[in-house]
Amino acid sequence: MLAFIQSLLDGILLGGIYGVISIGLSLVFGVLGIVNFAQAQFMMLGMYAAWFAWDSLGLDPILGVPLTGAVIFIIGYAIEKLLLQPVLKAPPVAQIFLTVGLMILLENAVLLIFGSSFKSVVVSYQQSGLKIFGLFISVPYLFAFSAAVIVCIALWLFLSKTWFGRAIRATAQDENAAVLCGVNVKQVYALTFAVGVALTAIGGAVILPYMTVSPTVGGQFAILMFTVVVLGGLGNVAGALVGGLVVGVIQSLSAMVLPVQLQNLILFMVFIGILAFKPEGLLKEA
Amino acid sequence: MKFKGVTLNARTAVYLCLAVAFLIPLGMDPDGYLLRIVSMVVLFAAMAQAWNIVGGLANQLSLGHAAFFGLGAYTSTLLFIRQGISPWAGMLAGGVVAAVAMLLLSIPLFRLRGHYFALATLAFAEVLKIIAIHFADLTEGPTGITIPYGEPSFANFQFESNTSYYVVIVALFAVVSLIFWKLSTGAMGFRLRAIRENEQAAEVSGIDTYRIKLGTSMVSAFTMGMCGTVYAQFTYFFDPESIFSMTGISVRVALICIIGGMGRLWGPLIGACILIPLDEIAVNTMSDVAGLGPFVTSVILIAAIIYEPRGLISAWERLRRRAQKKHAAQSGQAAGAV
Repeated sequence: MLAFIQSLLDGILLGGIYGVISIGLSLVFGVLGIVNFAQAQFMMLGMYAAWFAWDSLGLDPILGVPLTGAVIFIIGYAIEKLLLQPVLKAPPVAQIFLTVGLMILLENAVLLIFGSSFKSVVVSYQQSGLKIFGLFISVPYLFAFSAAVIVCIALWLFLSKTWFGRAIRATAQDENAAVLCGVNVKQVYALTFAVGVALTAIGGAVILPYMTVSPTVGGQFAILMFTVVVLGGLGNVAGALVGGLVVGVIQSLSAMVLPVQLQNLILFMVFIGILAFKPEGLLKEA
Repeated sequence: MKFKGVTLNARTAVYLCLAVAFLIPLGMDPDGYLLRIVSMVVLFAAMAQAWNIVGGLANQLSLGHAAFFGLGAYTSTLLFIRQGISPWAGMLAGGVVAAVAMLLLSIPLFRLRGHYFALATLAFAEVLKIIAIHFADLTEGPTGITIPYGEPSFANFQFESNTSYYVVIVALFAVVSLIFWKLSTGAMGFRLRAIRENEQAAEVSGIDTYRIKLGTSMVSAFTMGMCGTVYAQFTYFFDPESIFSMTGISVRVALICIIGGMGRLWGPLIGACILIPLDEIAVNTMSDVAGLGPFVTSVILIAAIIYEPRGLISAWERLRRRAQKKHAAQSGQAAGAV
């Protein structure tokens, strides 16, 4: 029983991170209407940005979140303006393959710059853990989860309390109506994409204390992110968070009986199962 | 032009040239590098044509055709090694396995919007890679399979000369292209075009869009599976990483179609003639810089999508139309002057 609760707890700690990295994908789809196949590669970029800040400035990856977020925000903004804007009104084939091209581009650009070797950081709390009621809580996991929660609250405040957040939600609901109300939707698209990829990048940065990074790390998270957003309903931001927690728990529980390498197989079955029986996602409202 | 009673128009002339072009490699050095590259070009053209059936005709964008390619390669090879079944029969078995996999995958997906299909096929290929790596008892695991070189014979799908492989690959391309051509013309062609242009309008016009999409996707998977068998026999070795590769197979076959022209009969061949030699040059000249080859591929893909998403065939047609218009306008002016 204790093992089960332990596993559940681990799953929730993991799932919070999965939520943050997947919210960006759902947000971008909800507003721009495109599935960003390169989303996981922005997580990888976030990890490299955080690693670089640690390596050159000695900045802790979790304390460096604002810096990582800002850097990836700027990169995302530029990519949206230069590459995505021309295809936003194009047929799906152009949109899908543009982001697929972007995925290969980012992965190999990083490979060219940093090489294929694994990079990791050294922080003081890396190996430490807390023991509460016989349960073990790893400190780096706890820190990453807390950072994820703070980022989610910040996003919620941004979307609900600021003028720009309202403009983003208005554009997602009805683009024409938003235009009539004086919203510059092109600007909204660029900013939403930038915010979306920055969120995913932050999710990558905060797990750096317990995860090594290489140019292909994004690929490992791609199926996971698809499953999370499909569980929550594609385009549903709150759903992505719930989906993340669910996927974290599924992964952690399945690890009790199945080898780690087969976890993606389980996720894929969940993914197909959801599409077959409940394609609108677990939370129905948009 | 009349030639011994046979009328020769531009179109038949082009086809004649093409037929001759396919014959030239028969005279190449059988052990040479050039014949190998030409064979690869035609093989990738066949694979891209298989993708073209579902991606270009039915407008269902698969990002995981490596899955069906790999299923074909594994099915025929394992049947050959373990049971001694001829790869020719294995090729058909591989096609069937691929088509059934596509059917199971498509049933929940085709009622949903298009990007779900792209997501699911991508994930499917990745999952098959995991299975192939993990279940080593069945698949020989991550090291891959080397096909034992036995007595060269037609039944074993093993030939002494690479020229024979070239002939098989050309035949494969011809078969897949013929299927594509059959599907793109006639009543079926109209139905598929209607689905591509406006699925809902097609549905209310009495077209069973669900069944047609399902059928074309299965045909596409079947032919891709056949290509997998031929690839395995041609290279004698494959492993899960390369055969289920997203950039190496899935995206590449789609990119070939996009560059040549999606949904066009000659799109895959034109695309393969450009992309495969380009990749080969990249591998040979820049192999010491890891990642440069795929980087270049992705730049080409993004540029093609932004500047000419309808492919080179469409670009060529547009140029020709413009030239004709100009010509017509000039002759009109000349007539006016007289």
